[in-house]
Amino acid sequence: MFRPGMKGNTVNTSPTASAAMTSATAALLESLACASTDPQDRAHASTDRSGYVSPSVPDGVVFAESIDDVAQTMRRASELGVQVVPRGAGSGLAGGAAAHAGQVVLDVSRMNRILHIDPVEQIAVVEPGVVNAAVNAAVAEHGLFYAPDPASTAICSIGGNIATNAGGMWCAKYGVTRESILALRVVLPDGRILDTGRGTIKGVTGYDLNALMIGSEGTLGIVVEAKLRLRPRPVHTATLVAYFPDVAAAAQAASAIIAARVQPSVLELMDGQTLAAVDAAQGSDHAVRGGAFLLAQTDGYGAYLEQEVLVEAIRPYASSMEQAADAEHAGALMAARRAAIPSVEELGRVSICDVGVPRNRLAEAFAGLDAIAAKTGVRIFTVAHAADGNLHPMIVVEPHESITEGPAKEALGEMFHLAKGLGGTLTGEHGVGLLKRDWLQAELGDTSLELQHAIRDVFNPRGLLNPGKAI
Amino acid sequence: MTTTHSTTKIVDALQAALPGRVDTDPALLDAFTTDRSGHRSPGAPLAVVNACTIEDVQAACRLASEFRVPVVSRGAGTGLAGGAIAGPGEIVLSLTGMDRILEVSPANRLAVVEPGILNGDLNRVLAGHGLWWAPDPASKDISTVGGNIAMNAGGLLCAKYGVTREAVLALKVVLADGRLITVGHRTVKGVTGFDVCALMIGSEGTLGIIVEATLKLQPLVSGGVATVGAFFDSVEDAAAAASAITAEGLVPSIMELMDGRTITAMERFAGDAVFGGAGAFLLVQCDGPAAQATASRAAALATAIGGRVETTTDPEESDRLVGLRRNAFPALEAMGTMLVEDMAVPRDRMADAFAAIRRIEQKYDVAIPSTCHAGDGNLHPSFVYTGDTVPENIWAAAGEMFRTALDFGGTLSGEHGIGLLKRAWLRDELGDDQYELQRGIKELFDPLGILNPGKVFVPED
Repeated sequence: MFRPGMKGNTVNTSPTASAAMTSATAALLESLACASTDPQDRAHASTDRSGYVSPSVPDGVVFAESIDDVAQTMRRASELGVQVVPRGAGSGLAGGAAAHAGQVVLDVSRMNRILHIDPVEQIAVVEPGVVNAAVNAAVAEHGLFYAPDPASTAICSIGGNIATNAGGMWCAKYGVTRESILALRVVLPDGRILDTGRGTIKGVTGYDLNALMIGSEGTLGIVVEAKLRLRPRPVHTATLVAYFPDVAAAAQAASAIIAARVQPSVLELMDGQTLAAVDAAQGSDHAVRGGAFLLAQTDGYGAYLEQEVLVEAIRPYASSMEQAADAEHAGALMAARRAAIPSVEELGRVSICDVGVPRNRLAEAFAGLDAIAAKTGVRIFTVAHAADGNLHPMIVVEPHESITEGPAKEALGEMFHLAKGLGGTLTGEHGVGLLKRDWLQAELGDTSLELQHAIRDVFNPRGLLNPGKAI
Repeated sequence: MTTTHSTTKIVDALQAALPGRVDTDPALLDAFTTDRSGHRSPGAPLAVVNACTIEDVQAACRLASEFRVPVVSRGAGTGLAGGAIAGPGEIVLSLTGMDRILEVSPANRLAVVEPGILNGDLNRVLAGHGLWWAPDPASKDISTVGGNIAMNAGGLLCAKYGVTREAVLALKVVLADGRLITVGHRTVKGVTGFDVCALMIGSEGTLGIIVEATLKLQPLVSGGVATVGAFFDSVEDAAAAASAITAEGLVPSIMELMDGRTITAMERFAGDAVFGGAGAFLLVQCDGPAAQATASRAAALATAIGGRVETTTDPEESDRLVGLRRNAFPALEAMGTMLVEDMAVPRDRMADAFAAIRRIEQKYDVAIPSTCHAGDGNLHPSFVYTGDTVPENIWAAAGEMFRTALDFGGTLSGEHGIGLLKRAWLRDELGDDQYELQRGIKELFDPLGILNPGKVFVPED
């Protein structure tokens, strides 16, 4: 591997970057063949999709290509006392992979091989940098699928999904990332390699360190290999879209579905503002049909029977309903939902929030979001994974305004208090990262937070791995 | 047993703080020296605290910390790994009195319960709401929800519906020093900080005492069930049929395998040749709208491997077949003291695992009747013996079985936990680094080492 900016070639073309370099980070980067100090690489690695703007760029980026590269980097970093920020595809929404001067980013996106697919055991072994959608494309040939399916499936990596315990559209029925990870290979902050979990479906040998790693946002260790649980692809999928006069009616319909004792595999809600944004960006005409949109899928042998139950539950609230005639039609409806975030991102600077509320309080949550928009002056567009009460309000400000300070931050704080007041949580699936740390203590309480710090110290005693994130 | 000054003082202090809740009657305390593992501690504990409230548990833990006296939390005592056994110098904290259902929310598909409620009792109440809690150990009618959580219990239905961890949203936990924390979320999803809720599930009373649980419920499955009973000449054939069903992508709600030795014991227990002298039995039950389609495909696969197959959609006949499986342990227990192992192997290694069990039987001259949750590769090889202590050859056979499971890429324990029974092999499975990290976690939650000491980890002298 040879590219401009890498060790042995031109380095430190930017004067401000070289000024920030410490002797320890310089020594680390010097010693690693896969390190880059290219200004573009460093600028790119300073933030993620959260909208966070780092005050400076990291001193360098290590592009690991093997477990050995990761282990060696951590061993050296630990000897030199250098802070390391692990990074996958950089598609995080909470600033968990953001880095600044004095830190080195350890990028695992080149470790992107699918090592093994076992269709009999329904297991895949993958490297952390493999993109989520690539896993699903590969296992589809065997009639299987990998259930955690974030909206960012085309651009996010499995390692990042594990770091944030990502959810997605299918997780109400199939569980979040934790339920689909059987085992992990992890490099600890001192470079030792740890295997957690097991090759079997069940197991209770000792504490569940596998679950502890999942969602730890790169603060306990770096995932370098993962054994994924796959599932048989459902034989039928039935897709339904319903339009409502307003978002409150759509939220009531979603709650009615939960109470109707049927388990949709997908239940996605979009509010009227988001529909208008999608229409503007995609040239579609959803907004003329209603002020809110609910997309529901049922799957398995009983998909169509279950869809009938959904239709009856939704009917009292909906202004119109449409059943997908075929897979192409269903795909177009799903695409509308997947277009929501990119469409809103065209309107300004966006912060995608991630509160969770109990499933019968969705309507109250939407009302609360309207009040927050009115109070803080930001625009809020909301989509929700309605079957598990997980809302993604998107705060939008003008391109020249800050998305992490001022009214945007005030709105984020208000959203947390709204969720907490409804018995909910600060983050359903994106993680705490940098952007939500201010409210962590209020949610967890002093004793829990103290335990969390103590747990981190067991794995990461010197605090060199992703410092300042998550807790 | 000698009674030291400090042990008298802790009992006095507990009685003063929790009047009417502390029992020291030796006849009563004897029950806490064992569970269903066949193990017995060397003697009776100091006292049992019958907790009725969270405050009771907090008070007991505060005093135990102050006097540095070990606390063994206990539900129904149905554990199979010795995790709730108490001995001299220890206090038993019994949670069976905390057995209320605090909330059922159909709109959120959740229930909030105290830890002492029996799994079966809870599910009878939930059925009235059209809901159920999926963890379904064979012991469901006699085991508590708190105990299920402490073990991360599985059961017959978990290949399709998940183990306990997937069915717990949040917990209230009393720490060793008496402080109360809430972990997890009332929401379905949540990633605020580390997953301490998952850490608590399966921790066998060594990190904290579970005093309240918010459970994730499922809607009762609509449509009927279809049940397949397949009789085979050999257990290897039955295991191959189970692997074929999994490989086909079928997801039965129950897939249970029993070997010939288990069948013999069950026929003797039932007084009836219900299995017709087969060498192995595979029970497959399918639920939901696809029940019949899945069952007939499974039946075809079993037939192709040489099974003699019966299929039924009659609910009574289905219940009878499933009841046979639930009676496997009682039938074996009727023959003596039972030591149940709990190894899990990758699902395509089940036939190899049964072959290894036969080899170990011959090598150690011991019969090992075995059942298996075939949908998830979890085997329960069982030893039956008479007398108070586990015979040497059985220990040696059990040890070889654990090593075999690890060689197959499997695990020591799929759902029963480590307790006392398997702690000697824990380090072999985890490796030194992970073992030390686990000990580090234990130490931070329980710095004085008073929570269920000697369980899971071998005491370090």
